[in-house]
Amino acid sequence: MKEAYEKPVILKLKTGMMNKFGSSPAYIRKIRKEIDGVPVEELVEKFGSPLFVFSEKKLRQKFREVKNAFTLRYPNVEFSWSYKTNYLDAICAVLHQEGETAEVVSEFEYEKARRLGVPGNQIIYNGPYKPYDSLVTAVKEGARINIDHFEEIADLEKVADELGVKPRVGIRLNMDTGIHPQWSRFGFNLESGQALDAVKRIASGGKLELVGLHCHIGTFILDPHAYEVEVRKLVNFAYTVEDQFGFKIDYLDIGGGFPSKNRLKGIYLPPEVAVPSVDEFAERVCSALLSSLRPGDYPKLILESGRAIVDEAGYLITTVHAAKRLPSGLKAYVLDAGVNILFTAFWYKFNIEIDREVYGTSEPCVLYGPLCMNIDVVDDLTYLPPLPRGTRLILSPVGAYNVTQWMQFIRYRPAVVLIGENGEVDLIREAEDLTDIVRREKLPERLKLEW
Amino acid sequence: MGKLERLAINDEGFIFDPETGNSYTVNKTGLFIIKFLKEGKSEEEIVKALSEKFDVSEEDARRDLVDFMEQLRLYGLLEGENV
Amino acid sequence: MYRVAVSGINAVDNPGPGVGIAKGLKGGSLEVSIYGLAYDAMEPGIYMKWLFEKSFIMPYPSAGEEPFIERLLYIKSNYGLDAVIPALDAELPLFIKSSSLLESYGVKTFLPTEEQFKLRGKDHLPEIAERIEVKVPETRIVTSYEELSKAVEELGFPVMIKGIFYKAYKAFNISQATSYFNSIVAEWGYPIIVQQVVTGEEMNVVGVGDGEGGHFGLVGIKKLWITSLGKIWTGVTVRNEELLSATERFVSEFKWRGAFEFECIVSNRDIYLIEVNPRFPAWVYFATGVGVNLPDRLLKAALGLEPERDWDYPAGKLYVRFTDDFVTDMSEFQRVVTRGEN
Repeated sequence: MKEAYEKPVILKLKTGMMNKFGSSPAYIRKIRKEIDGVPVEELVEKFGSPLFVFSEKKLRQKFREVKNAFTLRYPNVEFSWSYKTNYLDAICAVLHQEGETAEVVSEFEYEKARRLGVPGNQIIYNGPYKPYDSLVTAVKEGARINIDHFEEIADLEKVADELGVKPRVGIRLNMDTGIHPQWSRFGFNLESGQALDAVKRIASGGKLELVGLHCHIGTFILDPHAYEVEVRKLVNFAYTVEDQFGFKIDYLDIGGGFPSKNRLKGIYLPPEVAVPSVDEFAERVCSALLSSLRPGDYPKLILESGRAIVDEAGYLITTVHAAKRLPSGLKAYVLDAGVNILFTAFWYKFNIEIDREVYGTSEPCVLYGPLCMNIDVVDDLTYLPPLPRGTRLILSPVGAYNVTQWMQFIRYRPAVVLIGENGEVDLIREAEDLTDIVRREKLPERLKLEW
Repeated sequence: MGKLERLAINDEGFIFDPETGNSYTVNKTGLFIIKFLKEGKSEEEIVKALSEKFDVSEEDARRDLVDFMEQLRLYGLLEGENV
Repeated sequence: MYRVAVSGINAVDNPGPGVGIAKGLKGGSLEVSIYGLAYDAMEPGIYMKWLFEKSFIMPYPSAGEEPFIERLLYIKSNYGLDAVIPALDAELPLFIKSSSLLESYGVKTFLPTEEQFKLRGKDHLPEIAERIEVKVPETRIVTSYEELSKAVEELGFPVMIKGIFYKAYKAFNISQATSYFNSIVAEWGYPIIVQQVVTGEEMNVVGVGDGEGGHFGLVGIKKLWITSLGKIWTGVTVRNEELLSATERFVSEFKWRGAFEFECIVSNRDIYLIEVNPRFPAWVYFATGVGVNLPDRLLKAALGLEPERDWDYPAGKLYVRFTDDFVTDMSEFQRVVTRGEN
């Protein structure tokens, strides 16, 4: 009987590096052989590697967790799915089934939501650039529009004249909530009086009905207190508007920015410690609302949470293509997935799981993607046991932003599958091939090659 | 006497180099290989010994041995004569 | 016999508080056996057997809650563990979050709440200062060069450039300010605190709050000589009533629980708050040495015993740090490296 083999490893002891456990200790090495009961190997055999895998169960569960946290504390809440976070049809459809409306920030996202069957009045249209024609469509179809700047007020008044209607609109505010950097480029500034000027402008035009306030204080906010500040300022401003201009503010849209349990680079603590629970956020938001609203007044609270809902439902399976030793002595692995499809690798350190038992001590290593580009680094320092070629790594959470910000750069984008609640596996986006990329290209006749 | 012969190695895989004062840790397989290198065994002999003792193919063992010797060389524990 | 684990046993040129805490516990009225929690095999405390009976290498807090707690429970089940006194900033959030879990396994702590812990961010200082009626140096929070140059224009040179939790530099001109700004951003991220330089006496208070508005003793000191890393080497006890009563207001207003260090600059009658640390400082043995054994009292509070509350220490006691050395065997080191404990 032969002994179990582990790859030979020798490590030099250096001060500051002499921690038997490292940051990914050998004894908690993370093994994942399946996702929602479906074997990783089976998924790769059928759909190839790399492969994005979404868990419908996790997605619905996460949404319900967020929904319950808020609806148990406040009677009038709407959730609007942030399309930019993940606008794959299947993902949006799951969340619309759960009762989310659609929050879009471009005419493309607007069209995609309409195509999926979302009625116009279930769409919230945000963003600093809303082409005129898209405003016409949005007003016609009854979408809620949150105005970003004075030009847009003028555009909408023109639309109102053109269609002979009085659109119900919201305005986006930016404010100091103690969060740095302050997102001051979107909407009208509250503290400087610009927001009040915008309301005056809308009132004096007389062509628009101001019914909502919108704000989005930042992204991956780790301090629930900031939302409390945001809510109090929004409510105060709403009452100023109501008392001085006679508009009734029907909705307060506090945006998103809630963090997922992802590990932001530069944040030392693990996410389970650093990231507050959704209940803490909900508690802050709702108690700030209930304590600052006038008796009997329950304007609609709108949440545009994206990352907090979908991030943890997404996994990426990637394969070790090669192992090499760098001149510094550091071990390096070349994976078949890189920053081309994992945009969030620039600011997250993913959770890395291995698809099989690998024996041997963990050693420091760097994970490179497949691109012929120096910036293609998936993890610049992690601790893994010596991985044989062909080992699959399962990276998570990757559900937010990657399948919208991925690039068709050098390589084809891989397939995306959704594992249903009963373990069924559906292909929700096919892997790309050459036809996807050349479909729009035109080669002038005179350049046709004759090889 | 070669570099490797001077190393103080214990059974738990702790290596102390009395000449440089450096310390290293090595796993079971690494310890096995170093023992053979100290005895002046050839790469082929070591590959064979590895695949006989452990559950590993000669091909994988050869690849890992090359990488391991590369590490030893980077640490200055292996000189030309051993290679 | 109580078994207590103490971290921060890196008694180096930028020392952790662990050795000072251990000296306090040894000199207290409880019979204790102390374990050291270390993050590197070279932390000197591991080899100081006269203080730390055993030491354990811990997984880094950044590796996650689970391995960390698992390691503590390993110590508990193999060697017994009644209480932990964590002493490093990076561990505290984890210990605070897990304190009731640890308690359920019979491992006691006596720590600030999560809310209190957050007050250590320098962006919270104005809020604390307002509530306890002390001053803060005029402060700007900046995230860009533009804001930085505006801030230094308003405050005038010299200014302090600080990170929210770590690092502080004095800048005398814009190019220094910019370079410190860059180096802090590179290491610790945004935002950056730009602060007026206040001249006066740098004084610190160490104490343990009881969590109900009272405390188990305070000791105020002035640093007489600091190293190039800003660490105290010689100090003297002071009884500055303004400073001590400001500290008491801080403890009662925030119902502080556990150890803390309150750093101020005292200028005539004015107290400027510079920093609040939610743990013992490295010089905590000074308090023990003048008869206010804060580590011992904190342990009693953790164990549910009633600690002493007297703190009538004399002014003019001198604190002297010195270097020392000893020789041990390589096998000690080898065991730590291969087994993670010794």
